[in-house]
Amino acid sequence: MLCGIDLGSRSVKLVITDTAGKIEFTNVFETVRFYREYGKRHQDGLVVDFEALGVGQISEVIATGYGRNTIDIVGATVIPELKAHALGAIWQTGLTDFTLLDLGGQDSKVIKVRKRKMVDFATNDKCAASTGRYLENMASVLDISLEELSRYSDNPVELNSTCAIFGESELIGRIVEGYGIPELSAGVNYTIYKRIKPMLTSLISDTIVFTGGVALGQAIRRLIEQELKREVVVPQHPQLNGAIGCVAHALEKREQNAARN
Amino acid sequence: MSRIGITTTVPIEIILASGQVPVDLNNIFITDKEASKLVEAAEDAGYPRNICGWIKGLYSTVVNSNDIDKVIAVTQGDCSNTHALMETLELAGVQTLPFAYPFDRDYDLLKLQMDKLIAALGTDWEAVGKVTNRLKSLRQKVAEIDRLTWQENTVSGFDNHLFQVSCSDFDGDADSFEQRVDEFLAKTQAAAEFNENIRLGFIGVPPIFTDLYTYFEQMGARVVFNEVQRQFAMPNVVEDLVEQYRLYTYPYGVFGRIQDIQAEIEKRNIDGIIHYVQSFCFRQIEDMIFREKLDVPILTIEGDKPGRVDARTKLRIDSFLEMLK
Repeated sequence: MLCGIDLGSRSVKLVITDTAGKIEFTNVFETVRFYREYGKRHQDGLVVDFEALGVGQISEVIATGYGRNTIDIVGATVIPELKAHALGAIWQTGLTDFTLLDLGGQDSKVIKVRKRKMVDFATNDKCAASTGRYLENMASVLDISLEELSRYSDNPVELNSTCAIFGESELIGRIVEGYGIPELSAGVNYTIYKRIKPMLTSLISDTIVFTGGVALGQAIRRLIEQELKREVVVPQHPQLNGAIGCVAHALEKREQNAARN
Repeated sequence: MSRIGITTTVPIEIILASGQVPVDLNNIFITDKEASKLVEAAEDAGYPRNICGWIKGLYSTVVNSNDIDKVIAVTQGDCSNTHALMETLELAGVQTLPFAYPFDRDYDLLKLQMDKLIAALGTDWEAVGKVTNRLKSLRQKVAEIDRLTWQENTVSGFDNHLFQVSCSDFDGDADSFEQRVDEFLAKTQAAAEFNENIRLGFIGVPPIFTDLYTYFEQMGARVVFNEVQRQFAMPNVVEDLVEQYRLYTYPYGVFGRIQDIQAEIEKRNIDGIIHYVQSFCFRQIEDMIFREKLDVPILTIEGDKPGRVDARTKLRIDSFLEMLK
């Protein structure tokens, strides 16, 4: 069994496959809960308690994500996050040339892939106002679920705040003006689109693969399709893409080794 | 000998000819053990949070110093924040002398600026000529350190950065600096060759991060070209000092810099470029021009305050190096 772990800022994603790459088990944990319940401090780093996870015998662990610079998982191969995401998207979609947009808890990543290779990328750097965390905050201001927030993309109200926190009071201002949940939600989703648009347009392809927790909703996908007039593909497991990329990396290495021997 | 602060490279030959000691404020600031506190002190004094960290560091460096009461500030050819830096230093009782590089590299205008500086510091062209000649051999030695970096592969990216960036003021003492250069060159003769997989070029202002070069080397890459630092070192030694400061690319338009960078990418066999930009700096706009004009992969990294490279930047560097493999 192979185990891919994507240590995100908001959640830890786990994918277990057999050695042929068939997915046997997946799970998404809140980051803190995962470390508290399944992680043990060890002098060499973090030890993951696979027994407690109930996933059986693991022969290889591949990790990536937010924690890779700060946390060493004992016995794991660590790969850079953008590489994991590019590999995951190739693995999940079978595409070789595309632009990957991954919107996670605190990260926005855009990766240009050509002939199965990452050739350029852009990420949010100093500001996380284009990420899932912002959507969570705005959903709570509107007192609706993330799922409901992600339904609306028509007639967005105008929201201009640069800062995600000031965006909350701006949104409250719009509520006071009497706008309904559909337009308010669409406005929030449109601000995400506006923030990622420069990254997307500079690395554009005919096809955009959209992953990360934010891709579970419909609205941002629709906005990208409408505004950029490009096909947007959301793979079967958008949120697990990084963890799947970890497994894909291990399978690729195994294939290469087999070819050599 | 009185000490004169400089905000970036100026014709140092004039300062030395006047018998005064040039002090590159950037170097004093960034090597201070508590550089972050200097930035905070400027913010406490009223500098906005969303202004360049270098400017804030320079302000506190001068205000806190006991022996710098005069500053030559580059009012054209560096950045407009310097204008307000000058004004706030004036407010704090520091004498400031403006120096402007003409945007279009006009010879007569540049010579006029140098004439004015010579007059202001009480020296003359003859004395400046002597210093120019004295510095030529030193500049050539530093150019040799640069050559050893990319051609012999015996110098690290950080040492390349350090020796060249120090040429803005020769650490205030050209003779003892030359001694250090000589010692370094002697030591390097026996140095082992670096054998990293990836050769990087570093363009943009020197970084505010303190461990960037070390991190590249940890990750199997080495900087073999430091664009602006090399310009500070003035490898193009010519007879005419005005011409020397016209050939210097940094204070003029971006296209002259691009010509220089393109030639060096070719010559030094560079795999990828790190474009360092300072938070809130106008030079961030120029990133789009570099991406348009340069034919190698570029990673743009942004630094705000002094300190170690943050985890997010490391993550981007890792991914970039992975891409170049």
